[in-house]
Amino acid sequence: MVVLRAGLCPGLTEDMIQLLSTNGIRTVVDFVSSDLEDVAQKCSLSYKALVAVRRVLLAQFSAFPANGADLYEELKSSTAILPTGSPSLDQLLDSGLYTGEVTELVGAPGSGKTQVCLGIAASVSLGLKQHVLFLDSTGGFTASRLYQMLQAQTEDEEEQAILGRLRLCFVLQLEALQRVQVVRVFNIYELLRALQELRDRLSQQVVSSVGPLKMVLLDSVSAVIYPLLGGKQSEGLALMMQLSRELKTLAREFSLAVVVTNQVTRDSSTGPLKPALGRSWSFVPSTRVLLESKEATWEKATTQRVASLAKSPRQVRPPGSIPWECRSS
Amino acid sequence: MQREVGTLPLAPALRARLAAAGFQTAQELLDIGPCGLSKEIGISREEALEALQVVRQECQGDAARTAGGSGATRKCTALELLEEEQTQGFIITFCSALDNILGGGVQLTKITEICGAPGVGKTQLCMQLAVDVQIPECFGGVAGEAVFIDTEGSFMVDRVVDIAAACVRHCHLIAEAQQEEDHQKALETFSLENILSHIYYFRCRDYIELLAQVYLLPEFLAEHSKVRLVVIDGIAFPFRHDFEDLSLRTRLLNGLAQQLIITANDHKAAVVLTNQMTTRIGQSQSMLVPALGESWGHAATVRLIFHWDNSQRLATLYKSPSQKECTVAYHITSHGFRDVQPPAVTHSTGGTELNPRKRPRAEEEKQ
Repeated sequence: MVVLRAGLCPGLTEDMIQLLSTNGIRTVVDFVSSDLEDVAQKCSLSYKALVAVRRVLLAQFSAFPANGADLYEELKSSTAILPTGSPSLDQLLDSGLYTGEVTELVGAPGSGKTQVCLGIAASVSLGLKQHVLFLDSTGGFTASRLYQMLQAQTEDEEEQAILGRLRLCFVLQLEALQRVQVVRVFNIYELLRALQELRDRLSQQVVSSVGPLKMVLLDSVSAVIYPLLGGKQSEGLALMMQLSRELKTLAREFSLAVVVTNQVTRDSSTGPLKPALGRSWSFVPSTRVLLESKEATWEKATTQRVASLAKSPRQVRPPGSIPWECRSS
Repeated sequence: MQREVGTLPLAPALRARLAAAGFQTAQELLDIGPCGLSKEIGISREEALEALQVVRQECQGDAARTAGGSGATRKCTALELLEEEQTQGFIITFCSALDNILGGGVQLTKITEICGAPGVGKTQLCMQLAVDVQIPECFGGVAGEAVFIDTEGSFMVDRVVDIAAACVRHCHLIAEAQQEEDHQKALETFSLENILSHIYYFRCRDYIELLAQVYLLPEFLAEHSKVRLVVIDGIAFPFRHDFEDLSLRTRLLNGLAQQLIITANDHKAAVVLTNQMTTRIGQSQSMLVPALGESWGHAATVRLIFHWDNSQRLATLYKSPSQKECTVAYHITSHGFRDVQPPAVTHSTGGTELNPRKRPRAEEEKQ
């Protein structure tokens, strides 16, 4: 709802705005949706002038329709599929993470969400040599673990580490570490500010520090939203929707892959686990992966972790889930 | 800078009025000025001035950051973080098995949560850590001070005196064995009185006092910049009884966790919390799980669960971003938190106690 101001378009003068506001027309939407003959009579303005202003306002503020074929061509050229670093997880996600979409990882504490995010960062930064932005809101980002994963990945590719190659591996790992930018955001306003900064930098195409950015990881979204929900205030929901809009516009406009992690909660102490943040948030990500560790008691050591697809725009949900190993190195 | 009005930290009522009047970006607010703003949405001129102040701060902050200044944002590359982590110390627990599974000890800038049944040793470990954080750097410590926030009243000064005395003795033995200059100098300041005077103790009796204490902690830490450990012994206790509104409890706990992680990060301190256990009754069996619900499980970065196995105390690392899940055994002796001595070692002298939990005194002299 944009407020009518002088100079918004030629022909919209200050007097005109005064006359319109005395009749209750303050925003563009009010103007465009009102009956112009009526307005012309009440405000004693010329009908032609009002029609001209309306035409300009519509041209300025309405969205342009596009046809499906153009959209398809555009998507084909701008969408990329990024590998997650784990072949079975790639298979689950229909060959990887699609840019232009928001993917969500859901799991109980200790189920491996941060590990998967670190693995994705390592694989994109090392394998594709693209920049990665990691927004950390829980303090769980450990650079030494990321380094471990990078080492494991370079060892896979270079089967023998001959002396000369060792140095090359080390240099590659350091470069990969430099391509991962970490921003620590501990409340919602800092997060929104960081996303806004990212949007400004990308739209101005400042190549210096950001480079070819393709991946944004947010670990975790529930840590910043949970302190706002609950109780009797409803501004938490508004901020959550604002955040979801920012994430989706970022993903769509700049063809980034956005990965978000979320918690699980229970309805009652014996109910099944379900993703946190409620029904409104469940519409935001296009793909949802549920991470579980079998034998969830802590008395026995658990090594079997299972990832299952809870929501996907492309895959039919397989009846079983794909077991997924957490690599120790 | 096209910051949307919805993303600015303004009061919700004000934000609702701005949205109804049709303002969308921060730039529009700045253009209209305080008089125009107060007229348009019907608030007093002072309120309009205040709101514009906030908006200006946010926008100027943005501009300064995009121009290359780092200011207050915590932004860096993974490589810089790796270098930082490698130079950061750990707070040792004197139980080498536990230190190993934690990756060197309790990590700074992270929240560690210790859950366990009553009597398993959570408060003992907290008191041990409050002493260990003060170990000088030449002995492998962090040389920091400790803040102890007690909600259950289980902090016993006599016990801390025992633990501290044992720690000082241990350091003296190391200094005698290694005979280095800086060891002697460090030992002059590492005495019992010094250790006790650097543990700052707060007693909170209900959840409001606890929340107030945690939110006032940044100011306290700004004055005492050497604090490297914040212990909250019994975070479950004030929140478990007498809370009718569970969603309010979740919201308060999550706000608390957020504040703690900000404090840990900004002051490079380790935050240690202790939690109680509760029973979850499943279809066929019941099991002990940490209290305070599912969402609290995500608040801590590292989670340790202490439990019993017959008469042996075990510690399990349940959640950690960099270490594997593992279980080790530990002991609590009169000197504090210690490793389990392997049973094959038989240095029994005449006066050995038959209590299997206490190490024979002859072992202590060997160290």
